[in-house]
Amino acid sequence: MEKPSLLGCNAVIRYIKGVWGQLGLFGKISLIILLNLVLMAVFAPYLTRHPHHVSSGPPLVPPGAGHLLGTDDLGVDLWSMICFGARVSLMVGLFTALLAGLGGGIAGIIAAYRGGWPDRVLMRIVDIMVVLPDLPVMIVLAVFFGSSLHNIIIVLALFSWSMPARLIRSQALALKEQAYIKIAAHYGAGMGHLFFRHFLPELFPLMMVSMIRLAGMAIVTEASLSFLGLGDPTSRSWGLIINHAVSFRGIYFTPFWKWWLVYPWIFLTLLVSSLALLGRDLEGIADPRIMK
Amino acid sequence: MKKMLSLMSTAILLLSLVAGCFPKGGVEQKAAPDAGEKKVKEETVIVRLEGGDWGYPTPFAHYSRGPGSAKTAYIFDSLLERDEKGNIPWLAERWDILDDGTRYVFHIRPGVKWQDGQPLTARDVAFSFNYYRQYRPVSISDMVMDQNYLLQIKVLSDMQVEFTTVEANATFLETVGRVRIIPEHIWSGIEKPEEFLEPAAVIGSGPLRLVDYNKEHGTYRFEAFMDFWGPRGALDVLEFVPVSDAVLALEKGEIDLAGIPADVLSRFKNNPAFTAIENPAFWGYRLRFNMEKLPEFKTKAVRQAFAYAIDRQELVDKIARGEAIPGSMGILSPHHHWYNSDLPSYQRNLEKAKELIVGAGISHKPSYDLLVAGGEEVRIGEVLKEQLAMAGIDIKVTSVDMKTRDARITEGNYELVLVGHGGWGQDPDYLRARFSSAETTWTSGTPGYSNPEVDRLAAEQLKETNEARRKELIFTLQQLLAEDVPEIPLYLTTGHNVFRQDVYDGWVHVFDHHAPTHNKLSYLQR
Repeated sequence: MEKPSLLGCNAVIRYIKGVWGQLGLFGKISLIILLNLVLMAVFAPYLTRHPHHVSSGPPLVPPGAGHLLGTDDLGVDLWSMICFGARVSLMVGLFTALLAGLGGGIAGIIAAYRGGWPDRVLMRIVDIMVVLPDLPVMIVLAVFFGSSLHNIIIVLALFSWSMPARLIRSQALALKEQAYIKIAAHYGAGMGHLFFRHFLPELFPLMMVSMIRLAGMAIVTEASLSFLGLGDPTSRSWGLIINHAVSFRGIYFTPFWKWWLVYPWIFLTLLVSSLALLGRDLEGIADPRIMK
Repeated sequence: MKKMLSLMSTAILLLSLVAGCFPKGGVEQKAAPDAGEKKVKEETVIVRLEGGDWGYPTPFAHYSRGPGSAKTAYIFDSLLERDEKGNIPWLAERWDILDDGTRYVFHIRPGVKWQDGQPLTARDVAFSFNYYRQYRPVSISDMVMDQNYLLQIKVLSDMQVEFTTVEANATFLETVGRVRIIPEHIWSGIEKPEEFLEPAAVIGSGPLRLVDYNKEHGTYRFEAFMDFWGPRGALDVLEFVPVSDAVLALEKGEIDLAGIPADVLSRFKNNPAFTAIENPAFWGYRLRFNMEKLPEFKTKAVRQAFAYAIDRQELVDKIARGEAIPGSMGILSPHHHWYNSDLPSYQRNLEKAKELIVGAGISHKPSYDLLVAGGEEVRIGEVLKEQLAMAGIDIKVTSVDMKTRDARITEGNYELVLVGHGGWGQDPDYLRARFSSAETTWTSGTPGYSNPEVDRLAAEQLKETNEARRKELIFTLQQLLAEDVPEIPLYLTTGHNVFRQDVYDGWVHVFDHHAPTHNKLSYLQR
């Protein structure tokens, strides 16, 4: 019972400190970038002078004093759009990761602990989900369900819970054989108790790693769907800014791409690569066998 | 696998960035040998244009938009054709107008052959009309379909066909003159013409014949028809090929003509290999109200409020990048030869717009769904949303693909819809087709809109064969429409087409059409 409770505040701080110490250089930089992006999204209204959904100047103004990163073809301030767009990207990342990571994790634990038919059914579903090509199916679903942020999150989650489920299941299978769990079960601990007391705390780091990976994947996929014109066309996600820029006729022959296209792309790349690098480092911490 | 996905998506994004980085070198290299060879020998002239699927080019299977009907017209001739100035004799060598304009006798040009070698006679002409009256093609005038108006089509001899109508009609010649003539020996047994997609279905008498069509890739290949009756073909092959970016494709020589946006034009204007031509403003966007679904749109003041709230010049500047002219509330394009310039201009006036809305007595906060297709139209939708919001009108922009949007217009399934199309330079009878309450279809008419005076003038101009008097009627009609605002023409694009003159330079604009690629005269030696 000495295991640190996840809910204990001090324990969390200690945990985070521990993780920070174990992170490599890239991991640390990534974490800082991520935190900055999150702050940018949260404090978007305070960081921007211009509205993000209506025009605030002449169209296609290059970056300068009036408009930090310039404006798009409608005269909407690009910095504002990127700040508020961060909310869309992070939301998609966060919620998809939560839905798919937790959902998949729970499914994995149930499959592992119960065994028998729930295990077989769940794992067959996972097999099917793994072989289904994601992007084409997502495109079809996005077209079918219409393009709203909720739908995109749900569709993304539906397609990404299978990997964490499989990963967590294999770990949970090993955990199930541990003496303390067997003893706890022997003394009459129910599924719920075991789940919250033992499985979840033990497997949480692993789930966290999957979730970070999922977030990165979800953000890129949302951008791709938006880029392909399947997102909500009037939202201001990064993918859509890129989509509008790319569909501006002849943009590469004009100077406009230097800000209209490059800045959202830089932010998207920063976010996704930070997530990837952080995920890699955390993976090493959660499962030392991966890092040599 | 997730990694693959991320990689793929990133690759898409990256590629689109990189794609722009190497356009300059390719052009000069490719242009030079082309030009050189042409001087030495009479080589095959192959012209390539931007592709896209516009349906199988038969009168029944093409998609009902300009590029679709244009491809059909390359293959199938009509009685009349258009040149820079007006209508010209085509399959009909000449015609007589008898009995006060109720009887027309067309004299068919002798020696015309179908692309399978059979001769074309007056029987084919009569057959085509009667066949269309039995099976409706993709686009045809209601006048031709109306059994109570067009009473009879009779073959007088091998080379003469007679049309009898109830009364004179100012647009009769032009309307009948544009109907595609199909061969009787091929179509007579066909009962489901829209499913007739055999090679025989694309045998016409026109200067080009279809040799290949790929729906999935959106490619077409036309070759010159050697036994064409008329002017010699100026090119041997016309291909429609898929391109991802028209500007790039034109520079790299993948296609030989493209519409070039304003910001890029200078690039081509300074290059002697290219020539730019400006299009007349006969292609435009209009905002349509669904007066059946939302009765408040039947109130003139509400529609006028929209007109005052929308800054059309801003749309021209932002979306068309200045290459357009704001639409006239009298509907006809300002470039139309019968455009009435003496109309209320509806300069932007937000106060007035708000007043009108209040005066109209709408109890709820006005909030409407605006249906748009993808791409540029989304941007127009966003600007409209912003502009109308300033007048207190809420707009929710819904974007679907173009074919879905068109289908929803046909069903009347929208509140406000944005639609762009050509044809604004055609005979002004389209004012009747759009706004006469006798027109009840969603595609051409405006269900729910009714103004007896508009109806009267629309009907009167149709019967008026005196050109000056008809022009007066059309001018008055524009005044009425500008007052009523049954729809809002937002802007009409001018824009430039740039072509490689070393490959092909026969492009012409016919008098009422915006696209030089849509008329067959562009492909003929004249």
